[in-house]
Amino acid sequence: MSRRLEALLWVSAIIAALIASFSYLGMDLLGLFRGDSPEQMLSYAQSFFPPETAPDWLSKIARGALETLAISAIGTLLAALAGAVLSLFAAGRLGRITKSLSRLLLNTLRSVPDLVWAALMVLAAGLGPFAGTLAIALHTAGVLGRLFAEALENAPVEPAQALRDAGAGPVAAFCYGTLPNVMPQWVAYSLYRWENNIRMAAVLGFVGAGGLGQMLYVTLSLFQQSRAMTVILAMIIMVLLVDALSAWLRARLG
Amino acid sequence: MSIRLDGVGLTHPGGFRALEKLDLTIAAGERVAIIGPSGAGKTTLLRLLGTGLNPSAGRLSLLDNDPTQLRGRTLRTLRTRIGLIHQSPPLPPRQRVVTAVLAGRLGQWSLPRALASLCYPLDAEGARAALEPLDLADKLYARCDQLSGGQLQRVGIARVLYQGADLLLADEPVSAMDPVLADHTLALLNRIADERGITLVASLHAVDLALRHFPRVIGLRDGKILFDCAASDVTDNDLNGLYANDSLLGAASESAPTIAALQENLIRTAPRCF
Repeated sequence: MSRRLEALLWVSAIIAALIASFSYLGMDLLGLFRGDSPEQMLSYAQSFFPPETAPDWLSKIARGALETLAISAIGTLLAALAGAVLSLFAAGRLGRITKSLSRLLLNTLRSVPDLVWAALMVLAAGLGPFAGTLAIALHTAGVLGRLFAEALENAPVEPAQALRDAGAGPVAAFCYGTLPNVMPQWVAYSLYRWENNIRMAAVLGFVGAGGLGQMLYVTLSLFQQSRAMTVILAMIIMVLLVDALSAWLRARLG
Repeated sequence: MSIRLDGVGLTHPGGFRALEKLDLTIAAGERVAIIGPSGAGKTTLLRLLGTGLNPSAGRLSLLDNDPTQLRGRTLRTLRTRIGLIHQSPPLPPRQRVVTAVLAGRLGQWSLPRALASLCYPLDAEGARAALEPLDLADKLYARCDQLSGGQLQRVGIARVLYQGADLLLADEPVSAMDPVLADHTLALLNRIADERGITLVASLHAVDLALRHFPRVIGLRDGKILFDCAASDVTDNDLNGLYANDSLLGAASESAPTIAALQENLIRTAPRCF
C-alpha cells in the first residue's frame, strides 16, 4: 500500500514539474499545429529543396569540407601529443606533485566544452580555422590525457623495470617496455576522438571558427536554404565516411 | 671475485624474512646452480644479485662493486654488466622478437640510437646471431604474443646473451620447456658461459638438470644455505633434507624416497605459485 502511495507521489511530482516548466518557459506546443503553422513549416522545409548544385558552390563546399577535416585532424594530433605528455605526469610517473597538478589541468581542459573553448579562442585568435583548431586541441587534450593516463596505469611495470635492471635509461626503458603495451590503446582512443572532432568541427563554425559550420551559419542567416541543404548533405557524407574509415582502422588495430 | 655476500639478510616490507645471514663467494667464471623448495628464497637471492633488490643487512659485492653505494650512471654501468633471465620474461606482447632481443643493449646504446632502432632494427643481424643457437632465428620478425612459453623463455635468454653481461643470472630459465629442450638449453647456457668466461648463477627446480650441468650446487631452504658443494659431492641425504616437507613426510616414507618420487609428490601436493 505504502509503495503504491509512493509511486503515486512520484508520478504527481513529475507531472507538477512538467506543468511548472511549461508555464515558466511560456511554451505553446499546440501553436505548432494552429492556424497556418503547418503550412509555413512545410513551405520552409520545401525551400531547402532542391539542394544547390552549381559547380562553383560545390567547389566552395569541397574547400569547406577540407577545412573542417584539416581543423579536426590537426586539432586531434596536437591534442594527442599534449595528452601523451600530460598523461605521463598524470599517471604519477614523474612524482606526486606533478601528478595532482597535471590532473587538475586535464580536468579543467576537459570540463570546458569545446564550443566554449571555440568562443574564447575566436576572441583570442580571431575568426577562422585557427581558432577552431585550438579549441578542439584544448578540449581533446583534456580527454585524451585522461584516457592515456588510465592506459598507462593499467600497463604492467615489469617490462620496463627489467630493462632498467639491465642498465637502460628511463626514456629508453619506457619506449621499449611500456610504449608497446599502451600504443594500440592510445591510437584507438585518438582515432575515436578524431571521429568525434569532425562532427564538432562542423558545428564550431557557428561561433566563427571556420569550415563547413561557418558556411552553414552564413547561408542560413542569408535565407539561402538550398545552399544550406548542400552544406548539410556534405556534412552527413563526410561524417559517414570518416566513421567508416575510423571503425575500419580501429578494428584492424584491435 | 664475481659475487661476495657477507651476512646478507633481506626482510620484505611486510616483515617476511626471505634471506637470513647468507655468506657466499662465487669466483669469476664459476657456474653455480641454486636448488631448493618453492619459497626458499631463490628468486629473492637472484633479484638481489641482479640489483633489483637491496639487502636489509650485511654487505653485498657484485663484480667488485657495492650496488647499494652506487647511484645514477655508475649504477647503470654496473647493471649493463649483469644480465637476469626471468622465469617468464616480461616482454610486451605486441613487440617483435627482434626488438625484444635488441632491447638487451639499451644500457650501452645512446638514446637516439635506441629510438632509431625502435622504428627500424639497427642490428637485426646481431639479434639473429643471438637467436640462432636457441633455434629461434626463424622467429626474428614474429610478435611475442605468437610464441609459446618455452619460446618466450628462449627469447629472454637471447636478449641476455645479446646484452653481453659479465654476470649471468637465470631464474628457472627452462621451466616452460620440455625435458629435451631444457637439457639442450642448459647445456648451451653453460657452454656460452664457459666460452666467454662469464659467471653463471641459475636457480632450478629440476635437481637432475642442476647436478648434470653445473659444477657447483647450492641448496637453499627457508632463506638459509643448507649445503654448498661440488655437484658430485651432493648426497641423497642432502637432497632429502633440502626438500623434506612435514606435511608430505608420511607419503615420502611409504615409497622409498627417491628424488624423483619426492619431486613428483611435491608437484602433486605442494601449492605452487608460479
